[in-house]
Amino acid sequence: MEEKIRAHLRKRKRLLILLLSVSLLFYFLLPLSLIFIPDVMSRPSFFYNMPWAWLYAILQIPMTWVFVGIYHAFAKKMERTMPVNKEDAL
Amino acid sequence: MNPTYFLFLIYIIVCTLIITYWAANRTKTTPRFYVAAGKLTGFQNGMAIAGDFISAASFLGIIGMVALRGYDGFLYSIGFLVSYIVVLFLIAEPIHRLGQYSLGDVICARFPGQHMRLLMALGTFIISILYMIPQLVASGFLLRLLLNLDYSLSVLIVGVLMTIYVVTGGMIATSWVQIVKTVLLMSGTFLLTLIVFSHFDWKIASLIDKVKDGSPFGMEFFRPGHLFQNPIEFFSLQLSLVLGTAGLPHILIRLYTVRNTFQVRRSLISSTWIIGSFYFMTLLLGLGTVALLGYDNLFSLDPTGNIAAPLLAHAVGGDFLLAFVAAIAFTTIIAVVAGLVISATTAFSHDIVHHILKKGKSTEKEQLHAARLSALAIGMISTLFALSLENINVTFLVSITFIVAASSIFPVLLLTFYWKRFTAVGVITGMATGLLSSLIFVIFGPHVMNPQDGWILREPLFSLYNPGIITIPLGFLGAIVGSLLSGKKRQSICEFERFFVRAHIGMDTRREVE
Repeated sequence: MEEKIRAHLRKRKRLLILLLSVSLLFYFLLPLSLIFIPDVMSRPSFFYNMPWAWLYAILQIPMTWVFVGIYHAFAKKMERTMPVNKEDAL
Repeated sequence: MNPTYFLFLIYIIVCTLIITYWAANRTKTTPRFYVAAGKLTGFQNGMAIAGDFISAASFLGIIGMVALRGYDGFLYSIGFLVSYIVVLFLIAEPIHRLGQYSLGDVICARFPGQHMRLLMALGTFIISILYMIPQLVASGFLLRLLLNLDYSLSVLIVGVLMTIYVVTGGMIATSWVQIVKTVLLMSGTFLLTLIVFSHFDWKIASLIDKVKDGSPFGMEFFRPGHLFQNPIEFFSLQLSLVLGTAGLPHILIRLYTVRNTFQVRRSLISSTWIIGSFYFMTLLLGLGTVALLGYDNLFSLDPTGNIAAPLLAHAVGGDFLLAFVAAIAFTTIIAVVAGLVISATTAFSHDIVHHILKKGKSTEKEQLHAARLSALAIGMISTLFALSLENINVTFLVSITFIVAASSIFPVLLLTFYWKRFTAVGVITGMATGLLSSLIFVIFGPHVMNPQDGWILREPLFSLYNPGIITIPLGFLGAIVGSLLSGKKRQSICEFERFFVRAHIGMDTRREVE
């Protein structure tokens, strides 16, 4: 495989791992926090005294939108900067 | 039956049949039947994915769960939504690039062979049927409850409609029925949310106060822990939900219905916006139900909470709004079951009949004929099954579907796309371990073995209702061990690199074939 394609794939892999780890960490911290620090998550927050657990759960919705948006922007950029013609890569 | 309900029902049936007639005139080729020839736009496909994904369990079940279980009920929605990150980041683009119509095509792009195709077809078939049966059974109960129709007649109506959509209009009709469902569902839910919120003078503080008054738990209602007490059970459910969608064939084959990877990403982004907004509205509706109807009142009418949305609609909008909500629920069911029928049909007619029985030599006309016949047979058999299951509780099959998908198809797809040591033997052992372990843990778990009301009246051998925390690692382990033990059959580095480039940056495979 051409070195330029290898470098392209490595860059893609690095960013993918970073985005995936951060998003899944954000997601799994919700059940983990409810399991390990239930008292903290049940404390009233600044938002109409709702427990912090509600805020964190609701935040998962915009979090999903932000991460899929970032991924799309990143994938578009990667497609534009493809080192060679895609048919050649095959 | 109330004439308003009847008119709404007839209106939905006529509209979807007109769509099907229009689609039937365009479904003259195999690519059009299976994948709408890749001609949908990203946004249209996003709406169709949302229509395929949001089942009656989501629409009616989650509103009821939030109303009865508060925060814990809402957690289901979060898992469903975040699962799209896994689909988009890891699975969607390689599937689009490698496959033609089915998941069998994807695996065969790396490991060609009839065994691989048969295995993936079986996996797809099992998951689609496991999901379809409870949807059909639920449709019988739902229509009986909302429209006062007989159970058998309700199942028959839904079964006949889904079969007509798929047999005559294929993926084009299915997609447009799902798009119409999404428009109806989102507009109806939005309207209901606005009406409910107006009862609280558009103030969140007022809604929260009324929820406290309406619930016997007061402010405690908002504390987590009203449903999930066992932390392992809870974590296991969240794991299955977030990984399950990436193994659901009826969602994954929708990624073939657009023309390139840009549109694939747009499809998934659109669907996450629709699904996320929908779940946010169901949260408000669940809280609104407690505030306006009262917890005790709802619990006494329906301890499962499934009719919370219709009750709420009736309370704030009378018969007309209730009829509208019933029509949405009906459309929700037919859109989901149609998606499942086409997924099972593709696995059977494309993978088993065309590739395995006919060795890939059937003509275009024969393929289309086989596809229509398969859809007819699958529709009829599923309907007959659902008709005979009136007195058996099959609701647990819905959650099982996510566990089976996350334990079998997801590990195999992931390792095929990313692991160079993966082998054909690993595909077989991974699929077999994932499928068997899920089924064994469910059959010997509390869903089936239960001294009070189980199918087997005995203490369960496994205590977990959601065994994903065990079966998902087992699926991966089976695939990895199988591959390591068959290391000699591994692809060469060069072969894998060629596959890897094709899967991750290869040219787009969706082309119109007339």
